[in-house]
Amino acid sequence: MPGFRRLLSSEWMKLSKSRVWLLVPVSPAIALLIGALVSFDSVSGSDRYPILLSAMGQFHAMFFLPILTGILAAFVCRYEHGSGGWKQLLSLPVSRTGVIAAKLLIIAVLLAAVQLLFAAAVYVASVIHGFAPELPWGALASAVAGSWLGCLPLAALQLGVSTLWSSFAAPLAVNVMLTLPNMLVANSEKIAPYYPWAQPALTMLRGDALDFGAFALPIESLLITVLGSFVIFLSASLVYFNRKEI
Amino acid sequence: MSDWIIETIGLSKSYKGRYAVTDLNLRIRPGDIYGFLGPNGAGKTTTIRMLLGLIKPTLGSVQLFGKPLHKARLEILRQVGSLVEYPSYYGHLTATENLEAIRRIIDVPKSRIGEVLEIVGLAKEARRAVKGYSLGMKQRLGIASALLGQPKLLILDEPTNGLDPSGILEIRELIKSMPSKYGITVLISSHLLSEVEQMAGTVGIIRNGALVFQDSMPSLRRQAQSSISLRVSEPERALAKLKGGGLNATLAPASGFIELASCRDDEVALIVRGLMERGHDIYRVEERRKSLEDLFLQIVEGGKPS
Repeated sequence: MPGFRRLLSSEWMKLSKSRVWLLVPVSPAIALLIGALVSFDSVSGSDRYPILLSAMGQFHAMFFLPILTGILAAFVCRYEHGSGGWKQLLSLPVSRTGVIAAKLLIIAVLLAAVQLLFAAAVYVASVIHGFAPELPWGALASAVAGSWLGCLPLAALQLGVSTLWSSFAAPLAVNVMLTLPNMLVANSEKIAPYYPWAQPALTMLRGDALDFGAFALPIESLLITVLGSFVIFLSASLVYFNRKEI
Repeated sequence: MSDWIIETIGLSKSYKGRYAVTDLNLRIRPGDIYGFLGPNGAGKTTTIRMLLGLIKPTLGSVQLFGKPLHKARLEILRQVGSLVEYPSYYGHLTATENLEAIRRIIDVPKSRIGEVLEIVGLAKEARRAVKGYSLGMKQRLGIASALLGQPKLLILDEPTNGLDPSGILEIRELIKSMPSKYGITVLISSHLLSEVEQMAGTVGIIRNGALVFQDSMPSLRRQAQSSISLRVSEPERALAKLKGGGLNATLAPASGFIELASCRDDEVALIVRGLMERGHDIYRVEERRKSLEDLFLQIVEGGKPS
């Protein structure tokens, strides 16, 4: 796959000179602030981690992750939207599937960086509150990795939408609009697992942190839904993009 | 193997039942500069998009380097440099970085970036962010990107669009040198004949999606007829005399010129001698070529050239 590696390095270069990096630490920083202010007056022992995670993760997974996923999806297409960029890129010897795959991988890597920073923020908050040695690393890792996976269907969907509309702002606006009802949607265990905007929150805060509505679903069924919607959205984006008239 | 760098066979594209391009048979030979002409909206860009595999033809096929585009797209595109409509660039990057983003995909040596910047005359501005470039500089950067992969074929869609006269001249000189200096075949589209007239070896003229003329530039020139104009003393009397001699002559009242349809040298000599013998003073004898642009307009506006 030398062709794909070259494409990836080109995409990386376009992005690395931009300011999109500044968005990566925003949500973890806010989460850290919230985490530092949590009060543990009446709780102790192993109850502290779920409270900390739900406090720090609600805003992060419920709003920031889906919105950031949409921003990144729009951002990786941004340079192509302006003045014939798609024409130039696609008249180079590249496959269209490769182009989508490279852009998706870039989004996934940036989201992974956000998640790592978030995990670090949880650790720092636990240090502040003095229970760092008791931090359940396994649970934290699965929450962080789970919500990263939960972002990928949305990333594939938003990337498809970003190639559909030659606009930076329109897919973003739709994305924000559909992120806002997350809290309501999450109450329904029937709809929420299929709602791409709620998936990051469900996969992060399920179980101990929150246990109402769709948060109480078993992780296996959640992951199957996430994987299934990822496959569907990615195939739809690929089919559309491969046929698109540029 | 065919002898053509570009050959399209019955190429057609329809949008919702309306044909934007119909039954196009382009033939472009190696080392040529092919001027692809037509008014705006005639189907030039649609054709070029099909040549680059950006859109799929409804009917017909495209062969580049003797290979079918739909089967060998990646292999073919490695040898093609293109600039479609407006030059594309990443404004926050410098010219060097813009070219580097493309270079990483097509995998040519890094030294190539400096070379193409030198060719298009942007070497001095290479370290500036492209968003501060003038339109002409952006256009040159677009051509630099097209040249980066050492293409054998260059496809340029209206490369002088929006440039000032000196910019047009510069780009024209640059394109003109491509076949001789680098062995590159060039397809260049334009809505103005005058723009490709001085560099094209062959022209194809497209009107309403159909190719109405495809031949060498000299052959197009031959079709632009010439006429003879005379300015003499007592033009009315001279006109009557010429008409009496059975010649197709008219008098342009504003300028006072007598215009004669195309005449051979001996006929002109005869006419001049005749007029002098009848006591007319002859002030001017001019040959007027119908400009190529007139001929082009005639072809573009209605039917075949005469």
